[in-house]
Amino acid sequence: MDEHPVMVFKDVVKVYPLPSGDVTALDGINFKVGRGEFISIMGPSGSGKSTLLNLMGCLDTPTAGDIYISGTRTGDMSDKELTDLRRDRIGFIFQYFNLFPLLNIIENVTFPMMLKSQEAVDPEKGRAALRAVQLDDSLFTHTPTEVSGGQQQRVAVARALINDPDILLCDEPTGNLDSKTGAGIMELMSELNRKGTTIIMVTHDPNIAKYSHRTIRIADGRIVE
Amino acid sequence: MIFWEIAKRNIRIHLLRSTLAMLGIVIGVVAIASMGILGNSLVLTVSDSLKTVGDSVIVTPHVGGTMGGFSGGAGGSSSLRITEQNFQQIKRASAPNVAIPILQTSDRMKLGVGSDDIVAAIYGLNPDDVPDLLKLKEGGYSRGNSGCLVGSTFATDHNVKVGSRIAIGTDGNKGTLRVTGIIEERGMAFDVSTDSAIVVTKDWFDETYNRDDYDKVVIKVKNLDDLPAVKTAIENQMNKRDKIVDVVDTRKTMETIFSAFGQITTFVSAIGGISMLVAGVSILNIMMMSVTERIKEIGIMRSIGAQRKEVMSMFLYEALILGVVGSLIGGAMSLLGGYAISSVLLKTTKYLFVYSSLIHIVYGMSFGIVISLICGIYPAWRAANLNPIDALRHE
Repeated sequence: MDEHPVMVFKDVVKVYPLPSGDVTALDGINFKVGRGEFISIMGPSGSGKSTLLNLMGCLDTPTAGDIYISGTRTGDMSDKELTDLRRDRIGFIFQYFNLFPLLNIIENVTFPMMLKSQEAVDPEKGRAALRAVQLDDSLFTHTPTEVSGGQQQRVAVARALINDPDILLCDEPTGNLDSKTGAGIMELMSELNRKGTTIIMVTHDPNIAKYSHRTIRIADGRIVE
Repeated sequence: MIFWEIAKRNIRIHLLRSTLAMLGIVIGVVAIASMGILGNSLVLTVSDSLKTVGDSVIVTPHVGGTMGGFSGGAGGSSSLRITEQNFQQIKRASAPNVAIPILQTSDRMKLGVGSDDIVAAIYGLNPDDVPDLLKLKEGGYSRGNSGCLVGSTFATDHNVKVGSRIAIGTDGNKGTLRVTGIIEERGMAFDVSTDSAIVVTKDWFDETYNRDDYDKVVIKVKNLDDLPAVKTAIENQMNKRDKIVDVVDTRKTMETIFSAFGQITTFVSAIGGISMLVAGVSILNIMMMSVTERIKEIGIMRSIGAQRKEVMSMFLYEALILGVVGSLIGGAMSLLGGYAISSVLLKTTKYLFVYSSLIHIVYGMSFGIVISLICGIYPAWRAANLNPIDALRHE
């Protein structure tokens, strides 16, 4: 069992240099995420939520400070190493599902496995992941456009979990769903968290944030509570 | 191989534009391969026509040189001729190869009672030399002075057969000759072009046209490797002080001709290559469209762990598929096109199914695949180097 926190932000600063002058998106961010936590990040538009999510997902690098994922400092990693880290340790769930339209449901789910193994994978693991998110077997060979938004988001959750990541990053996971379907997805997330999955979720919606155990509020690039 | 699968499916869902891009490659391959096949077939055709004379050294008086030991005269086609003494010197220099002196003129002749006069070339040869130079397809060689041989085209055009009689001169005033044999077709030749001519004995020629000299000397070289040495020996012997003879090595001449044909083939193939470059630009354009349409997809792939090289490979696979399929179709069409062109222009397809022709299809196909890949590199590189955050935000 890894004793390190899943994620640590230490004095993280992110500055975007622009022709009109530098813009500080994040300033002195410090927090830790323990294994099995369910955290929501809230804040108004322009507060730095997206920048924070990009840094947590290793899609961007900080201007100053350190980020650790399961004890591994990400600052000195190459693009290849960061890509491997995203593939193996981080699962992404997006607001607009972001499934691949050219692949069917089972291929979408097993895509990260194929990136990892570099060869054909056992589709049975994909089927098991889809059953775990309560998707009907009859939909497995459909393309994403042939299923509903809620079903697409379940597929996205299955894809995010297929490589057993340390952490699940969710960007407004119910933002594109009706309230009933959104509630179903949040029940699923809560169930996954109860089984041990660490989840960090960016949301505007206080009703959705209620599903988490802890909320980090951010304003003007700083954590306010 | 999920990226290979995605590339295939992307081509399939954009079938029309993929087909149009492939069409460019098809046209490019057909242009290059057809031009190459046609050029090579022409070379082979000429080569077949000239192969019977590729073993000779031809000696003619040097035009514009000093008269030297050569005689001037009237009644022939040239004012410079080779004397018997010069011939003996040439014969010694080229020994042990056979040196054949040749007389040449043209005259009127009549082929039957009531027929019109025609004008044709007349060659005078020693009867002993004729078998070394000419092969017959019908009849036999002339021995006596009253016989002659005729070229195959002459025989066909004028309905001349073995045994026919030809009256030489205006109203036959120079005598009548009986056809003893018909010469095999020789095509273009550096020594004697007999297809539309008649061949008489040297004695008859000397007597009729009052000649005691020659228009040219042909040396048949037994060992082709000796050609340059024979040529040099004759030049050393005859052109010691002044250049009085021109000595031509027919194999060298043929090589020059083939080299010129080769350059023409390369040139026309290069023109075909331009259409391939246009096809490449079309591939580049379509690949750029593909990248632009799929920026968000690229961002998703990168965010969930696809390496730059994997994204790049996906687009290169797409370019490769377009190139390979286009080239295969182009290759098949080149074969059909080559068959049609050979049938129509050359009246034969025997030069199509040979290595030197078919290799042009391979060249065309290889060029098509390489151009497709090269034109896929920039879009693939651009896709691979997109910033994942910007790509994810792209709508």
